[in-house]
Amino acid sequence: MRRLLNPLIAPDVFDFWASKVNSTWSWERPLARIVARRPEAHGAVTLVLQPNRHFAGFVPGQHINVTAEIDGVRVTRSYSPTNIPAADRRVELTVKQIDGGRMSTHLIGHTQVGDVLELGPAFGEMTWPEAADGRWLLLAAGSGITPMMSLVRAWAAACMPGELTLVYTARTQAELCFAAELRELAAREPRFHLHLLLTRESDAFAGAPYTERGGRLDADWLQQRVPELAAHTVYACGPAGFVDSARQIAGNRAARFHAEAFTPPALVDDVAGTVRVELRASGRTLELPAGQSLLAALEAQGVHPAHGCRMGICNTCACGKLSGTTQDLNTGDRDAEPNSALRICVNRACSDLTLDL
Amino acid sequence: MTQAKLNRPLSSEELDRFGAELDALRARTVAKVGDEDARYIRRIVKAVRYTEAAGRALLFAGLFPPAWILGTLLLGLSKILENMELGHNVIHGQYDWMNDPTLNGKTYEWDIVGTSENWRKTHNYKHHTYTNIRGLDDDIGYGVLRIFPEQKWKPLYLAQPLFAVIFALLFEWGVAIQDVRLGRWLKGKMSGAQLRKEFAPVGRKIRRQIIKDYVAFPLLAGPFFLPVLTGNIVANILRNLWTYMIIFCGHFTADVETFPKSVLRNESRGHWYLRQLRGSSNISGGTLLHIMSGNLSHQIEHHMFPDLPARRYAEMAPVVREICARYGQNYNTGSLPRQFGQVVWRILRHSLPSRPRREAVLTVDAPQDAAVA
Ligand SMILES: Cc1cc2nc3c(=O)[nH]c(=O)nc-3n(C[C@H](O)[C@H](O)[C@H](O)COP(=O)(O)OP(=O)(O)OC[C@H]3O[C@@H](n4cnc5c(N)ncnc54)[C@H](O)[C@@H]3O)c2cc1C
Ligand code: FES
Repeated sequence: MRRLLNPLIAPDVFDFWASKVNSTWSWERPLARIVARRPEAHGAVTLVLQPNRHFAGFVPGQHINVTAEIDGVRVTRSYSPTNIPAADRRVELTVKQIDGGRMSTHLIGHTQVGDVLELGPAFGEMTWPEAADGRWLLLAAGSGITPMMSLVRAWAAACMPGELTLVYTARTQAELCFAAELRELAAREPRFHLHLLLTRESDAFAGAPYTERGGRLDADWLQQRVPELAAHTVYACGPAGFVDSARQIAGNRAARFHAEAFTPPALVDDVAGTVRVELRASGRTLELPAGQSLLAALEAQGVHPAHGCRMGICNTCACGKLSGTTQDLNTGDRDAEPNSALRICVNRACSDLTLDL
Repeated sequence: MTQAKLNRPLSSEELDRFGAELDALRARTVAKVGDEDARYIRRIVKAVRYTEAAGRALLFAGLFPPAWILGTLLLGLSKILENMELGHNVIHGQYDWMNDPTLNGKTYEWDIVGTSENWRKTHNYKHHTYTNIRGLDDDIGYGVLRIFPEQKWKPLYLAQPLFAVIFALLFEWGVAIQDVRLGRWLKGKMSGAQLRKEFAPVGRKIRRQIIKDYVAFPLLAGPFFLPVLTGNIVANILRNLWTYMIIFCGHFTADVETFPKSVLRNESRGHWYLRQLRGSSNISGGTLLHIMSGNLSHQIEHHMFPDLPARRYAEMAPVVREICARYGQNYNTGSLPRQFGQVVWRILRHSLPSRPRREAVLTVDAPQDAAVA
């Protein structure tokens, strides 16, 4: 069918007409329809998505880039499925409201059942290895619970060998996602050890099992609850600050440590500083001065991206920015939007960057 | 009229202020770009799709003459809209901020035999950066026509009025091979292998376009092969004639100037804006003309702000015009018949030997601009 249509119609044109018939039909783009929504906790909503056949699926612990159109602009953010892959191919995303956040506000406040989102391929290495025996420690904070939830569910569903400990930090009881399911699993399954830490609530509201109020993940606390850290493989996920402290506490002491941060790295305001720029398509990572236009900085390192005018008008040098913050040298405007087009001749790096070059 | 009467030479300090005012206009406009522009370009996409579908459907009934005529006109209209308001503007990266892969300047492929890739080089880069600089902007006469007296006359140019008509009919083909440097190959400066390599992507695009318009759709019509084929040919020609007319009006009217390479030496931003102004001309008219010309009717604004959504030029134009007036600069605009009349006159006049006027003077205190002609 596609071979027959190919000489007649370009993929974009096909998509235009196909979407008139069914909003998730597409030549090759992975699209998904929201089929259900449910509140998961205070300020968090779970969206159940039904992808079209172009979505290749995910493995528990991975993330997916999700794109929605907000005020005419397609905005992309990463989210981690919280369910486990099943025959219906559905994907469940749990989105936490971030104050002033563009995508989270849109997904929680403005999407409805029936709306269509675009998905990217699943990525991430925080997954169960082939032989997942031994002892595992999962450290999660805030929305960092999402990939961990998928891992826990996969562990429980497959009756995996080994011991699993989950330490999940949230601000308040009301903000805990999946609390009932986790407590129920901990009560039923002796090899699953659960610790729910609430940073903003004191003991006054005590009562719920496995929950510690006013607790904070630090070295002493961990030493008490998980004495044999050296025998554990540790996964950590949450805001950058949390991931940094998890790395400090457990990075060197655990058998293996892997962490993924959900917030962007710090900005380099010092124009004399340097940033790490990963060129995804050519598989190189370079240390570049932050003060110069990216084009000039790359050329100084012997990389020669396509360019023309060198003054921001011809668009020849535009490339995809996958992540990081840049600054327009003409206007001084900053752009932290991931997955957007970037003219490297008139922009400098303000943080570590990943470019599609 | 002489250039000095039209345009007051500016001091470099005046030029800086001129540039700063245009930069400020740019910043004010950038701040407004958003939802409205996104909805507009999506409506244009819709119009392109629906007119194409309706045109092709009518052509399938093309044995009936009114259906053939209407079908051909609709298909031509669709191609014009697609090439100009959609393709040309999208390829400039005007809508890159939407992050929509189907409207991305680096990947958009338009419905014309030339590849977007070559266009990005000859047009976005060379023509827009080196606008009307002789020896750098290949769009000056497209290498086949003598439009300016500064181009060297050869007896061959006597046949130019005829060439110009053929070139108009085949405009998309001219654009397609503009960057394939046949001339260099003919002169033996490029090997056959190199030429084949440069031609390969162009060849693929040409094949795709020919198969689509002249084989696949006509075959799909079965017994009505011929009306569909002729309708497609005529629609492509209509598009060629219209785009040729609009594009030529943008840079080849009477008062437009060309520049020597020396203007590039230490060119300031204000100077660059001034060169865009002096090398471009607008076409006055209503909304329909602006949309159908992809807003190239606002050629001056387009050259000053090639990466802003073109629908914004209409609201910027009065401000640009007012700024130009304050700095004593001619704002070249006129109706389509007037501007195209001047183009036709240039084509006819410069097919015969002609001598350049005194070189244009852009600034008062940069002697290299007043280079001898
Ligand atoms: C690999 C990966 C997986 C992710 N999985 C999930 C997930 O499953 N569920 C989920 O809810 N989120 C997840 N996130 C975070 C998500 O991608 C967005 O960053 C988040 O939804 C905020 O986007 P926004 O557009 O609402 O905020 P933006 O408009 O981008 O940001 C607004 C402000 O909030 C700050 N901010 C951004 N993210 C956070 C955050 N997580 N915590 C605190 N402040 C923040 C920004 O620095 C900025 O100042 C994941 C992130 C990554 C990198
Ligand atoms: S090189 Fe022309 S826009 Fe960057």
